[in-house]
Amino acid sequence: MRLVVSLILGAVMLAAPAAAQQVPDPLRIATEGAYAPFNYLDDQGQVQGFEIDLAHAMCAEIGVTCEFVVQDWDGIIPGLLAQKYDAIIASLYITDERKERIAFSDKYYQVPARFVVPKSSTLQIPEGLNDAVVGTQRATSFERFMRDTFPEIDLRVYATMEEAYLDLASGRIDALMADVVAASEGFLKRPEGQGFEFRGPEYTGAEWFGYGAGVGVRKEEKHIADAFSEAIKKIRENGTYQQISEKWFGFDVYGE
Amino acid sequence: MLELKGYGWMLWEGVQLTVIVSVASMAGAIIVGLLAAFAKLSSSRAQSLLVDTYTTVVRGIPELVLLLLVYYGIPTLVQDAAAALGYRVTVTINPFLAGIATITFIYGAFACEVFRGAYLNVPAGQREAGAALGLSRIAVLWLVVLPQMFRYAIPGLGNVWMVLVKATALISIIQLPELMRNADVAARATRMPFTFFFAASLIYLAITLASMWAQGRAEGWASRGVVGGRL
Repeated sequence: MRLVVSLILGAVMLAAPAAAQQVPDPLRIATEGAYAPFNYLDDQGQVQGFEIDLAHAMCAEIGVTCEFVVQDWDGIIPGLLAQKYDAIIASLYITDERKERIAFSDKYYQVPARFVVPKSSTLQIPEGLNDAVVGTQRATSFERFMRDTFPEIDLRVYATMEEAYLDLASGRIDALMADVVAASEGFLKRPEGQGFEFRGPEYTGAEWFGYGAGVGVRKEEKHIADAFSEAIKKIRENGTYQQISEKWFGFDVYGE
Repeated sequence: MLELKGYGWMLWEGVQLTVIVSVASMAGAIIVGLLAAFAKLSSSRAQSLLVDTYTTVVRGIPELVLLLLVYYGIPTLVQDAAAALGYRVTVTINPFLAGIATITFIYGAFACEVFRGAYLNVPAGQREAGAALGLSRIAVLWLVVLPQMFRYAIPGLGNVWMVLVKATALISIIQLPELMRNADVAARATRMPFTFFFAASLIYLAITLASMWAQGRAEGWASRGVVGGRL
């Protein structure tokens, strides 16, 4: 049993008033552990995934050791505020609402949206879209993006992406609009998605798709987020980021 | 047999945690419930008002909110208050104990109502007979009332237990990997949600069946000496 039953109910530690602006070492990082392939637990119970590799690379740049805390999603921001850990790296998207409670680093990934078409199709994207039937999921940022960007198009919306995949596979729609990772993991890498591919540009407009995922920290410790922003810039420049992204996805998920 | 892709041990650890937290919380809830029931039945207005407030508040607040308040709310409050005074204070609460304490606190209120009903079901003549034999009030309670109370309380306690077991699924929010959380983790890592949630529901069902059997035994024990006593 891996349960550690410590009998200390409340340990209160008093430290000197507000230490200098340092990044704590080791740095405790919370992740969800249930969002493969970004972060998940393997069959040994170890944290794995794109974000875990990325976090290690960023911590190495900052010069601290990362320690992971696996935390259920619903408690992930309360836990940060209660100082159970110092940062969140869990595909936490940067939104205006969240910015009121916590501070973020710059984004470290932003999955772009793209069209999926049959490999045999001659459809030009985006030029030929007006003559095509396109499917996507109902009430999502993809639907809003499609209606705003291609108002003339014959758009079919589905309750789930899985239904849209099925209709694409059976030829009822000519193209599908989806986020690249979801489409890749949920369709293209599966047997039924073998004859299909991404086509056309990657779309990442913040108006529809937000600002991407960032490292979340407490507001009064913005300097930790800044250290991560700096580290993201460095691993983008030295190619470490691209290697990790290639390993997990086969392409660069940073977005534009 | 379900193919668990090497995640079977994770479910097993989740089951252990679920069972340990459930049993510990239930034991706590029985003690809290008994004390609260006697306080509620006492002639002291202050005591019964206090317990009334406790059971009303607890039964009215969702478990999830209470858990969050205890584990995250209290430390945040203390830390923010200290920060306002210029100190850096870290309050750590052990999640295991916080989970048990919170569930005990909640289900103690439900158990209290069960015990109160059970107490009222024991005929007043039994207490009077005890007093007539010269037993002290404590002895009457311990030797006469309590054994008979259990006979009436066990069906209700069994019900509290069943609800409590399923409520432990909430403790994953305070970093305790119980059965549901581990089933979720495994389901998402393997992309086999049906398999793992089905396995988890079978395990909950097994716990329920074992509990029903134990409850039947307990009812038989509590009704010993009563002709046609099984309720």
